Amino acid sequence: MAAPVSASRLASIVKQRCSIFQTAYNPTNARTGAKYLRARLRGPSMVRYYPQTINISQIARQYPELEICDESEAERFEDVTEKKKRGKGAPKKAKTKADSRRLHKRR
Amino acid sequence: MPSIRVLRDIKARHGVEANEIARRAYLYVARNESLPPQVRHQAQLQLNTFGRYTRPTTVKNRCSESGKGRGIISEFALCRFQFRLKALKGELNGVHKASW
Repeated sequence: MAAPVSASRLASIVKQRCSIFQTAYNPTNARTGAKYLRARLRGPSMVRYYPQTINISQIARQYPELEICDESEAERFEDVTEKKKRGKGAPKKAKTKADSRRLHKRR
Repeated sequence: MPSIRVLRDIKARHGVEANEIARRAYLYVARNESLPPQVRHQAQLQLNTFGRYTRPTTVKNRCSESGKGRGIISEFALCRFQFRLKALKGELNGVHKASW
């Protein structure tokens, strides 16, 4: 059996090891928050999760000179105007408290 | 057009990426025991001012085909049903139906 190594000697070994491998010497295990700096950034890979999709309305807004027609949006707009003509549009926003109360009562 | 839940998730992902470095810096200060408590507390208060869609925990992997939030196979970004459909169609490289 080897003789037990003293605590101070062990500490000095650890200190040496830290200086050799360039790690922080932290004998009391105090929380330094270093793990938040050491961890890799997760944002870039998070953004890449969904495959890129083409947004027609966004392109149309960006380049108005191209005059791109978003067909599904045009169809929706047509449907809404048709409904409004038949009196089936969305109800008007309540401007006062009394208005909103009336809306609740009707239901 | 992706569902609103997927759009919200995309928003969260971009928010996390934009604010990640600042949040990390505040986290470092707030969790560092060697700094004075007042400073750490200030950093924690700053962390609390960040919006909802800047925290990485608000990001959830959803199905990129159907937008479902459950039963996702993350490696393919697909829910189990869409994964099956695509695998049977042969659209996923290296995936084929087991048989023995």
